[in-house]
Amino acid sequence: MVDALVLKDVRKSYGQREAVHGVSLTVKEGEVFGLIGHNGAGKTTMLRMISTILKITSGTIEVYGKDVAKESDAVRSMISYLPEDAGAYKDMTGRRYLTFIANFFASGAEKEAMVQKGIELADLGDRIDSRIDTYSKGMTRRLLIARAIMSSPKLAILDEVTSGLDVINAFEIREVIRQIADSGVTIVMSSHNMFEVDMVCDRVGMVDQGNLIDVGTPAELKEKYGKETLEEVFVAAVKGA
Amino acid sequence: MTDLANIVRKEVKELLTPGSIASVLIMVVLFACLGNIIGGEVEKSTALPVIGVANYEDETIDTVSGEWNAYEALKNIYRKSVPPEDIDKYVIPMNKDTVYEDLTKSGANFALVLNDDFKESIESEKRGLIDIIYVYQPSGMINGTVSSTVGPMIVSSLNSDLSSMIIGSETEKEHVKFLTTPIDGSTAITYIKGEPHKDVTPSDISSQLTSQTMFIPIIIMIIIMMVGSIVISSMGSEKENKTLETLLTLPIKRTTIVTGKIIAAATVGLIFGLAYMLGMSFYLTSITSMSSVAGHSVDLNELGLGLGLADYALIAISMFLAIACALGICMILGAFAKNYKSAQTMTMPLSILAIIPMFITMFAGWYGANILIKSVLFIIPFSHPMMATEALMNGDLTLVLAGIIYMTVFALGSILITVRLYKSDILITGLGQNKYIEMLKGMGRRSKH
Repeated sequence: MVDALVLKDVRKSYGQREAVHGVSLTVKEGEVFGLIGHNGAGKTTMLRMISTILKITSGTIEVYGKDVAKESDAVRSMISYLPEDAGAYKDMTGRRYLTFIANFFASGAEKEAMVQKGIELADLGDRIDSRIDTYSKGMTRRLLIARAIMSSPKLAILDEVTSGLDVINAFEIREVIRQIADSGVTIVMSSHNMFEVDMVCDRVGMVDQGNLIDVGTPAELKEKYGKETLEEVFVAAVKGA
Repeated sequence: MTDLANIVRKEVKELLTPGSIASVLIMVVLFACLGNIIGGEVEKSTALPVIGVANYEDETIDTVSGEWNAYEALKNIYRKSVPPEDIDKYVIPMNKDTVYEDLTKSGANFALVLNDDFKESIESEKRGLIDIIYVYQPSGMINGTVSSTVGPMIVSSLNSDLSSMIIGSETEKEHVKFLTTPIDGSTAITYIKGEPHKDVTPSDISSQLTSQTMFIPIIIMIIIMMVGSIVISSMGSEKENKTLETLLTLPIKRTTIVTGKIIAAATVGLIFGLAYMLGMSFYLTSITSMSSVAGHSVDLNELGLGLGLADYALIAISMFLAIACALGICMILGAFAKNYKSAQTMTMPLSILAIIPMFITMFAGWYGANILIKSVLFIIPFSHPMMATEALMNGDLTLVLAGIIYMTVFALGSILITVRLYKSDILITGLGQNKYIEMLKGMGRRSKH
């Protein structure tokens, strides 16, 4: 299987403070890879470096063989990044927002098809033509996920995708993520929610204080630490680290 | 649609909101109303004053040229500018004892009250006394000032009328004129661009120039502050909503994002600027009519101080570059804004930079400033379009071209810095996690220990 994402000894420093300490990992094509860890552990920093918006202090990141630092334009054409608590342009309608984004990827009939795909993924019904500032948080998140996926990226990077959503909305979003993964898109996501990661991810990386302390499938990790839930695994891994 | 057009369209739609359009339209209407009010006041103040005359009946003076009466003399003065049937509306006889009531009732501007011994004084070759009686009523600056200056002017006209009656023959009049004013200094010649111009003083030119150019610095300041606020707020809003993070991960070049934002803001800024200019032009009309009332009206084109098409083109280039410089500064400042609220405070340095040259160019000007102030003016890019009109009128093309070159370099430099910032971490992390700031914090901590 092709390597979709390869991190080699990646470090990120802000002055004297190192936020990410030599992280190495590989994500295979079509995998859903979850990064779990508490606030400030370094998950978002890692995702931002993969997304080309933060510079890497040392080490290398490759997305489908393209170096994030040296070939950032090429990387950006393959990825789609959804930041935590991201919003959209509030004075646009959902349809106008999807069209605005689609304009950067395609034109003519191809663009129209992309927008249509986004509208179907968002599943907002008539509300797709309402202004975004009238959307609920769940509706906005659905629109943003649709935006992130409609361009058929090779790698989707989703940061805390269900944070702040109610149970029903979070459940529906997880369903959408699984559908996207089934269509062959590689997904790297971060989450506080261990249950969510257990449900959705093929493999999990545990992050603590800028270190990747362990990687494996949920089942492997549970077996390794002798615990029943990922939450217990994470606590055991952090305390033992 | 190209990426640039896509960004520009989105930015323009964001900036041209019903709220922003309404606020500009309100300003235009306000300026127009202000112009109308001032124009109306100027018109009122320039109308012939209505004058009351009291205690003139028994004060007719016999002179070598005939009888002289203040009331009749006043009517003669008005006969030159008012049809005979209307003179009684302007010169009203009043009673000395009820002058206040008469003034209030008739609405006259003032009354001339001859003293009881007026005739006796004149005939014994002593100066006769006339009191000018006003009724104070709260009024605007223009109306109040002009009506108070007319009283002594009317008395002066009466003086010369009576004087010529007393003197009698033309030869005597000339002789008296010579005795009182042997030197004639009434002819003024001013050299403008090396050419002599008769009956024009630097003061006349200066007031005419001021009336035509004083609004330019104000408009430029308003445009720069408005455009600056729009761009910085847009950046703050993009950061707050994390739409900027999304934009930065799309397959678009950073230069396209920066250029798109600048083009959109410059376009909107120019549209708003033109609207303000339209409003200002209404206002300016009244200012110009004020200066002509004050007797300063001169034709600048006749004096070789008018502007041609090429001059207007240079002013437009200068204004566009100033806006580009402002946008460059704003994009840099906006990169450091954490959110919409913090973006609002970021406009302060820009406002200061726009206000300083406005005041200097309005009150001292480039040509009246010392070397230190000139240096400050030249360094601040927004000064150049503010100074351009006066410089071009004076034929100082060097200053205008030097300003254009400086602003071009400044704008390009600020855009390059912005692109670098867009490629750096600062845009995402802010100054809080900048490596140099972190190093400074580290040094601070070490020195405490």
